[in-house]
Amino acid sequence: MSNDAFKKGLDGLDSGPTPSQAGQTEAPPAAAGLPPHPSVDALRERFGDAVLRHELVAGDEHVVYVDPARVLEMLGWLKDDPAHRYDFLQDLTCVDHGNGRTLQVVWQLWSIPNKLNLRVKATLPLDALEVDSVYHLWRASDWLEREAYDMFGVVFRGHPDLRRILMPYNYAEGHPLRKDFPLRGRFTRAEQTRRALAQKTEDHYSEKELRIAHALGQALPEPFAPGEAGSQGQFGGMGGAG
Amino acid sequence: MGLNEGALPVHTGPAEAPQGGLFSGQPSFLTTKLDAVVNWARTNSLWPMPFGTACCAIEMMATAATRYDLARFGMERMSFSPRQADLLICAGRVSYKMAPVLRRIWEQMPEPKWAISMGACASSGGVFDVYSMVQGIDTIIPVDVYVPGCPPRPEGLIYGILMIQEKIRNSAPTSRAEWGRTDLLPESASALTDPMIEDITAPFGNSTNQNRASGLVSTGAMVRASDRRP
Repeated sequence: MSNDAFKKGLDGLDSGPTPSQAGQTEAPPAAAGLPPHPSVDALRERFGDAVLRHELVAGDEHVVYVDPARVLEMLGWLKDDPAHRYDFLQDLTCVDHGNGRTLQVVWQLWSIPNKLNLRVKATLPLDALEVDSVYHLWRASDWLEREAYDMFGVVFRGHPDLRRILMPYNYAEGHPLRKDFPLRGRFTRAEQTRRALAQKTEDHYSEKELRIAHALGQALPEPFAPGEAGSQGQFGGMGGAG
Repeated sequence: MGLNEGALPVHTGPAEAPQGGLFSGQPSFLTTKLDAVVNWARTNSLWPMPFGTACCAIEMMATAATRYDLARFGMERMSFSPRQADLLICAGRVSYKMAPVLRRIWEQMPEPKWAISMGACASSGGVFDVYSMVQGIDTIIPVDVYVPGCPPRPEGLIYGILMIQEKIRNSAPTSRAEWGRTDLLPESASALTDPMIEDITAPFGNSTNQNRASGLVSTGAMVRASDRRP
């Protein structure tokens, strides 16, 4: 038995994907021996080369790796096609394997009518962390994408309000859950304390909060003049109509 | 000879002169030091402002509940409004995002005011020696008593509060130094210098250097008002 079999914890990360695997486009051989998953087979049939890999983890979790450039199209199809109807986005997150390897974006889908799970993954190289937002498919992805952006630095194209959600708005040390992020942050503790106390906590509201305040007749902070053009189109109708 | 010898004169026998009394027509006095009266009042009616962010807050609630009954010490009312509070109890870890909130609440409390840092995380960052956590709230606000523990038992918090009361009893509110004293913290900045912050936030820094950070050289958990920074 080789030593690799004993790798655990952080050492086990060496078995993750390597940069050389990032650009692979040729369709891998049809998964032999895997129990079939109706949606994966249908994806293969419809999108062909965009389905890169299909594997089974943790016993019965189907994971399908897709082309990051066509992710929005494929997820939209999975959601809207009457045969599949993945109408519930359970989770959206990222996985960083460290050592400069690719970063994975994970969409965990659940079909309520079919009672079926599917995990969709896309791998992004560290120097091009951009993928389409699924905000307009599942509103649940709003804060999840903001969190993924905050913690990993993945930019979700088309997200209407992509800004930090967990870290302070004036945080400038990067994205903390990346493997190359030092545990105690990049700044000194004195600088971190200075920046923390320099936060103006009342000055930061979302467009939505500002609109509610405006509707209630409350005065808005200086940078947000009421009736400013631009905000109207961005949100479409307000009030969670989407 | 009696036990009272040398103290107050004791009248024995028939009263030659009428004793002073409220309605006796004679002048009557209760004399004491103003300091003592003020301290007595402050000591026994401390209103805590609970700033509970984590598991320490559970112990703080237990302290306020029937079994430990904080009301015995005059803390009848947990004041969830900083304007009506004298004692800030910071129970739990404080993130950098929360730091300006803690500072704002402290600034909203009227003088005189005291602060207890309850538990390892509030006092030193505890196990959270990471990018997002304040490594000891004494970099944000001045702290009077640090209560160790993870979390401290209610007895520990009560002991800390008794130390605050001890400190109030020993203070001199009418003295030149204390009268009208306000802790004006620098706006949007720490009262400590950068090297001091680096010193106490180093790994294991605050657990060994807490007294140095607060200006007290000798060991001992209590920090006097005159030693408190700024």
